[in-house]
Amino acid sequence: MKEEYGIRLVKKELLGETCAVLTFSCPEIALSAKPGQFVNLSCEYFLKRPFGIMSVDKEAKTFSVGVRKVGKGTDKIIKASEGDSFTVLGPLGNGFDFDGVKKLLLVGGGTGIFPIFFASQYAKENGIPCEVVNGYRCKNDAFLYDRFSCACSDFHATTDAGDLGVKGNVMAYLETMSDEELVDTTVMVVGPGIMMRKVSEWAKSKGLTCYVSLEQRMACGIGACLVCVCKIKAEQEGKEFVHKRCCKDGPVFNAEEVIW
Amino acid sequence: MSISVKVGQVDLKNPIILASGTCGFGRELSEYMELSKLGALSSKGLTLLPRDGNQGVRVAETPSGMLNCVGLQNPGVDAFLATELDYMVNSGAGVVVNVAGHSNEDYIAMVEKLDPYKDKIDALELNFSCPNVKEGCMVIGSSPKAIETLVSDLRKRTDLPLWIKLTPNVTSITETAKGAEAGGADAIVAINTMLGMAIDIRTRRPLLHNNTGGLSGPCVKPVALRMVHDIYDAVKIPVVGCGGASTYEDVLEFMIAGASAVELGTITLVHPTRPVEIVDDLEKYCKENNIEELASLTGTLELWR
Repeated sequence: MKEEYGIRLVKKELLGETCAVLTFSCPEIALSAKPGQFVNLSCEYFLKRPFGIMSVDKEAKTFSVGVRKVGKGTDKIIKASEGDSFTVLGPLGNGFDFDGVKKLLLVGGGTGIFPIFFASQYAKENGIPCEVVNGYRCKNDAFLYDRFSCACSDFHATTDAGDLGVKGNVMAYLETMSDEELVDTTVMVVGPGIMMRKVSEWAKSKGLTCYVSLEQRMACGIGACLVCVCKIKAEQEGKEFVHKRCCKDGPVFNAEEVIW
Repeated sequence: MSISVKVGQVDLKNPIILASGTCGFGRELSEYMELSKLGALSSKGLTLLPRDGNQGVRVAETPSGMLNCVGLQNPGVDAFLATELDYMVNSGAGVVVNVAGHSNEDYIAMVEKLDPYKDKIDALELNFSCPNVKEGCMVIGSSPKAIETLVSDLRKRTDLPLWIKLTPNVTSITETAKGAEAGGADAIVAINTMLGMAIDIRTRRPLLHNNTGGLSGPCVKPVALRMVHDIYDAVKIPVVGCGGASTYEDVLEFMIAGASAVELGTITLVHPTRPVEIVDDLEKYCKENNIEELASLTGTLELWR
């Protein structure tokens, strides 16, 4: 049986004023989570809050998530102290499918950068050649930049402000990539909707398989309540879309299936 | 010592029922609990044809609760019978099938489709109370006369126990309960969600893309308790309590107020193992307090005079 685990915050690293990486002790999640999966974490308000898993440490039996303050619940979570107790459900969702992936292009933006880090770690551990492109607003906003630089041999940043890496959004970098570089590449992208849409359109134009991780307001996180649905192309003839559960059927979908 | 209860002729091994719309058909929650430990599961609200539900944002958190406007997304009664009913039966929990129509004809057609499966179903829960669809449901459920007319028609078409799930969004829920009783209902389920709204002050738009939604969770419990008490006083048929119960103490409150069984809903979405923990807690409570029959608590409320 799956459980709701009582866990402790063992480490908090602030990333600027609005983001933090929180590390929790939880063997069950540390040992079983896959990149692209998420946890539903308690806060002082009624519903839990979903966060993409950023990394796991199987030896220390911890997992980490990146949190950005977007409302009252995430504000409380970021203000928590090391040692504080939480409850958590997870790992939840389908996660990325790495079966048959020969070469990876990971694209991250916003809080999507956190789960992209997990995917990059997985690729490294499993010997999958992997290039990472993260889009930031500016140098000051470039969280995890150093960590990606150390961990990934093929890491590129873009900034809207142009004060770090390539000036522009992630498309400014992707459009410089040659067709030869992209042979056999699978694209995985996590970030704001508009970014995932643009990247998936570009991937399609290059004939590449592209996976996206969708985000919706959630309640249960386990597929029971149907509040977090997203529109997915229907297989049935004469029907435009079906509502699939972001939490249970996703959050990862093949971009080809998504109705933006 | 026994925690089994009866709702009319329906025997349940304990009073805990998972409320419609918070447990699907049991599949997802089976990963978190032994469904056979529950009194019953109430299915997601079924309609005659499949429904995609409402589009856009469907949930907003509120103090001690949430608003939802799912809008009865469900596979339709035929797909339910083909793929979900047997799953519910095999789960080992009692089977309550929640039926939601857009018109009297819809309810009639669905009851006629479900009646042949009476051996597999413990009760039909007629949803006269979904606030998130434009037709049927809450419109029918707001008029005592309309409820009586429809229930008495359905009564002739099936021997299955008919439980009527009422909306709190009416002037007098005792009047709608009496309408259901007069029509021949076997039990009243009270309450469905309360119609509410949440607003984004930056955009000056409702947070929910359906504009309004149904409020549920611990915040509605006092209203639900009061209504269960009023209905218990007003009708002779049993009452199933529903509305924000989250602990075994809440369940006991509902029973004391008059409920024969209690549905748990929103709390399961936050703590998916809680329902079976509550079953264990009820057993422990009875043992510790020398209560022979948990069912004996129903309606034992003594009012201040």
